[in-house]
Amino acid sequence: MLDLSSRFSRFVFGAVAIAIGLFLFFPIYWLTISAFKPDAELYRIVPTLYPHDPVLTHFATAFGRGNLMQQLKNSLLVSCSAAALNTLLAVYAGYSFAKFRYRGRRLVMVFLLSAQVFPFGLLLISLYPVITDLGLIDSLPGLTVSYIVFALPVSTYMFYSYFSQVPSEIIEAARADGAGELRIFHTIVLPVSIPAVVTVFLYGFMWSWNDLLYAMTLIISEGKRTVGPGMLLAYLNEVNSDWGGAMAASLVASAPIICTFAFLQRWFIQGVTAGSVK
Amino acid sequence: MTTRVDAGLSPQLSPQPSPLARKGGLKAHERRIGRLFLLPALAAFTLVILYPFLRAIGYAFTRSNLQTPEPVYIGIANFVSILGSPEILGAFVTTAIYVVFATSGTVILGLGWALILNQPFAGRSALRALTLIPWVLPSTVTAFIWGWIFNSRFGVLNAVLVSAGIIPFPTAWLSTTSGAMAAIVMTKIWFSIPLFMSFFLAGLQSLDKEQIDAARVDGANNFALLRDHILPHLRPVLLVVVVLGVIGNLQQFDTIFALTGGGPVSATSVLSIQVYRLAFDQWDIGMASALGLLWVATILPAAYFYLRHLLKGA
Repeated sequence: MLDLSSRFSRFVFGAVAIAIGLFLFFPIYWLTISAFKPDAELYRIVPTLYPHDPVLTHFATAFGRGNLMQQLKNSLLVSCSAAALNTLLAVYAGYSFAKFRYRGRRLVMVFLLSAQVFPFGLLLISLYPVITDLGLIDSLPGLTVSYIVFALPVSTYMFYSYFSQVPSEIIEAARADGAGELRIFHTIVLPVSIPAVVTVFLYGFMWSWNDLLYAMTLIISEGKRTVGPGMLLAYLNEVNSDWGGAMAASLVASAPIICTFAFLQRWFIQGVTAGSVK
Repeated sequence: MTTRVDAGLSPQLSPQPSPLARKGGLKAHERRIGRLFLLPALAAFTLVILYPFLRAIGYAFTRSNLQTPEPVYIGIANFVSILGSPEILGAFVTTAIYVVFATSGTVILGLGWALILNQPFAGRSALRALTLIPWVLPSTVTAFIWGWIFNSRFGVLNAVLVSAGIIPFPTAWLSTTSGAMAAIVMTKIWFSIPLFMSFFLAGLQSLDKEQIDAARVDGANNFALLRDHILPHLRPVLLVVVVLGVIGNLQQFDTIFALTGGGPVSATSVLSIQVYRLAFDQWDIGMASALGLLWVATILPAAYFYLRHLLKGA
């Protein structure tokens, strides 16, 4: 779109591109190479630009110390169940908003969407006694249920805007043929909505996997900790921080989410920006 | 229950009614089913969002802390204490600084990056995909990355700045008031650029090519094109992005907590950190809830615009 035929415009374009590119990608590069540097190379006033003597010792300590494996397992369990639960709740609500007309519909929509503006920190204060009353404090199911807070409003909206684009004629035709509403939804609408389902699942997964606040507050026992607070406690709570271990553990903790996104990012971006950009 | 409602209308079970009656019945049935589909989400919403929020409103008007575990109604006393506490009021200023710098920084860099990734070049789609990485990383990882970069003794930032002669000796960034603020703002900008860029890119892709070509023929240079065509076209997107950015930045907690813990002293204690400290360090639920409500009040103006935008045509 920009005209880069003149030398000056090419120079400005290139300089800005390199500056923003460095800002975005250098930290990731630095994380990656730091995980492979031996301590002697890591703790130098003038750092080396790449590991001259790459080692895997930090990965060994990362898996050896703390309970990284256990924490990854807990995170995976919580994030998958939270994402599934969130998708299940949002898919029906989004369909209801998009394809049905009933009194109170708009009001409930406003209600549900406005939840996004309640700070998670404020909700946590009184969610804490609620989860305690349910007997779910310090339990993975309790954390799973709490994660509905993060993703449900936006997920419902994502489904709403997706289903709004599904032509009503298909549904009307199926109704005329005498198909029940549940059957229409499950056999006609849902199969053409796989991209939206995948997007919303990922969205819920991402929030749960990346969260720190709820995970560190609602989980107390060491064995039930998820990877976010687990890493924080393991690496930055000491006098001498183990940065090599922290970087190695970070790579391990980021791998699942990056791999998933590598395959599904295009769908995901469409889903998240849908409806917000006309 | 759903199957029963469903069966009542399936043709093999019901006798053939007149088309008119069937139509009226269908409408009522449709409304019922619509509400039924909504029910699970509404129940979950009530349990984990609405009820806790209402309960927080209740707590805000009580004394409820370690000395007084059973909440006692004290009217607006918590709000009065907040107004009388310079430390808590300072959190509003800190939050404002954080939100203004983080939002404007992300808008500028996100727009710049979108313009760059909108140009055709080899490897563009790969670069677009890679750009998302900072956004999807766990908060703890993000905090580790930037904590290591800003590290006072072995951080790469100090190494670069000292060797370039910009600063004479290494600085303990996270231990100074402005350094810690700069660090949390930079961290937030870093992982928010991908989302903002995606919004801008979607906006740029809906730009009318012929309009651009016509402007080119009229002799418009890049700057004029940007000012007269591209930016006006992006105005609605810009509004959404700014509103979303403000809401998100007002609520940001994880990376700040992991990077500075609100410190040094309270230099980076934004509202989210302050509320957390009141609630889960001091267990003063009454004060935490009261401050939390004021926090919600700061979000409301942005939220109003956001909701109005989302519900357009609903």
